[in-house]
Amino acid sequence: MSMSTRVCKFYARGRCLKGEQCDFYHERKDDICPYFQKGSCAYGSRCRNKHIIKASQPSPLASSSANGRPSHFSDSVVGHAGKGISNWVPKAAKLSSPDRRVRTSQRKQTASVRNGDVGESSTSSAISSAHLFCTFAAANCPLGDKCSRIHGNQCLYCRKFCLHPTDRKEKENHLRTCDKKEKYLQALKDSQEIECNVCLERVLSKPKPSDCKFGLLPECDHAFCLSCIRNWRNSAPTSGMDINNAANTVRTCPVCRKLSYFVIPSGIWYSTTEEKQEIIDNYKANCKLIDCKHFNSGNGNCPFGASCFYKHTVKPGSYTWIHHRPPPQRRQNNFSMYEMLDMLSEVDLSSAEYYSIMRGLDFFDDMDPFEMMAVSDRLAGGSGPCFGPFDSDDEDMNFFRMAALSEALASGVDDFDPEDFDDEAFDPMETALISMMMQSNMEDEEDEEDSDEDY
Amino acid sequence: MIDFARVQKELVECSKDAEGSGIKVSPKTDNLVLLIGTIPGPLGTPYEGGVFHIDITLPDGYPFEPPKMQFATKVWHPNISSQSGAICLDILKDQWSPALTLKTALLSVQALLSAPQPDDPQDAVVAQQYLKDYQTFVSTARYWTESFAKASSCGIEDKVQKLVEMGFPEAQVRSILEAVGGDENLALERLL
Repeated sequence: MSMSTRVCKFYARGRCLKGEQCDFYHERKDDICPYFQKGSCAYGSRCRNKHIIKASQPSPLASSSANGRPSHFSDSVVGHAGKGISNWVPKAAKLSSPDRRVRTSQRKQTASVRNGDVGESSTSSAISSAHLFCTFAAANCPLGDKCSRIHGNQCLYCRKFCLHPTDRKEKENHLRTCDKKEKYLQALKDSQEIECNVCLERVLSKPKPSDCKFGLLPECDHAFCLSCIRNWRNSAPTSGMDINNAANTVRTCPVCRKLSYFVIPSGIWYSTTEEKQEIIDNYKANCKLIDCKHFNSGNGNCPFGASCFYKHTVKPGSYTWIHHRPPPQRRQNNFSMYEMLDMLSEVDLSSAEYYSIMRGLDFFDDMDPFEMMAVSDRLAGGSGPCFGPFDSDDEDMNFFRMAALSEALASGVDDFDPEDFDDEAFDPMETALISMMMQSNMEDEEDEEDSDEDY
Repeated sequence: MIDFARVQKELVECSKDAEGSGIKVSPKTDNLVLLIGTIPGPLGTPYEGGVFHIDITLPDGYPFEPPKMQFATKVWHPNISSQSGAICLDILKDQWSPALTLKTALLSVQALLSAPQPDDPQDAVVAQQYLKDYQTFVSTARYWTESFAKASSCGIEDKVQKLVEMGFPEAQVRSILEAVGGDENLALERLL
């Protein structure tokens, strides 16, 4: 029985250290999304599991009662048929089958590869090619010349007799994958020694398999476990610090205090910058396959815009598809509307200026324009809400009131562009507010990067 | 939740190097939340020769939150409250990083003793004196060190000397004196 049909026992217990390079079969029960089977998965296209309907299998109970066989037996038969690679032949059949026929069928298969049939068949032959080889060297095979499998040359890396004697392409292929495996294993071995600078434990020796992951910082080379560095970056700022400072302190490397904007999860540690870059590139490439939860297929507003790591697909019929711009942000950031009002009331501005600021910020999205007018009047020291559009002598004031009122009446808040009457001079208060918003957006970025799925 | 595995590691690490740095950390109770740190006064300062005890309380979020440190020994220093022993040090506040340990934090406190920052004072009276009348500051600091940071240890040295002269092995004398809290008579009873 070939190695890759045997289930990896480490993988079954949680985590196989060899990952994808493992020689044994990684039976991924989790691969298929159980929620999708039941009808709906809340993650939709962002789900990390496969959204396919499993082919209906006969229930073990039914088959056992029907065949009168023990259920595990029928199960295993179904399992093999499902995999589609029934690569072992029962011994009796193998011996009796004229091996010339087997050989020719193999030759045909390899010939189809050689003919440049790169699609399906080449991958399937790549999978099965490992099983064409006899585990023994030609000299030691007990079946001798009668052996139905190929007697390959010994590979220097894996020490198996699996180098194709004639097909150079096969041979190079195998050597390349073996070389890659070897490098990965070496890196894994080196990574075993690496300690997290926060919990002071070896990252790959942590008790919980899910914790055995590094969190790489793009700007420096200090090692942390993913959970530790994320904990630190998500930790609440110590009281009494001002917000800008705190956000930046937790975003710096705990050891060298270099500022890094994101953390990359990785199963292994790197030894060269090229390796690090490869890990980062792989991570970004994987992120690009997942739909951004902020963008929400065009119905949400992603604070990172074009620099977002995740996929931005505009679904036909979504907000962005119709309006050619993302919808306004409706998320409450770190400040509530009332805190913002308190802050606004500290400065001395005219009601038009207040209105303009409030209109431009999305903290006040929940307010209707009438209310905004009233509040801006009150902030400016006016006696109260004043809805008459022409009760002021000031030209600018009239313009402001007309604009605000027409907007209020139209109540189509989204169709109104705040820039249309945002003609006042740039105001320091506003800059401060905007910088605060940017700050909280940056925290969102952190949030997003840190809450992503692992690979 | 405090990462006790890490605290344990830190204590072991610290005790390994206790000889070299003179910095000790030991648990006050069994639960590793309350600890007591000991630092020797840096050489060439008015604190030279003193041994300073620092109360350490680990917050729930340790190591993601800084440990709370306070001098248990009275110190005359611009950045340390002469009343409460509160320490004004950035790494114990907003500059804390989880890569720092109790030992490194105590080293920083020790460094603070040798390099006062009177522009960012914790104790305004001391800071004023430091800036205006440095000589008086030095003599006060030295006097405080003599009277608060030396009394016990110096006394212990004398007692050890005495008991060793009586014919007891020094190591045993030291451990018993420590166990009974420095009481000479109790230690003698135990030794006999």
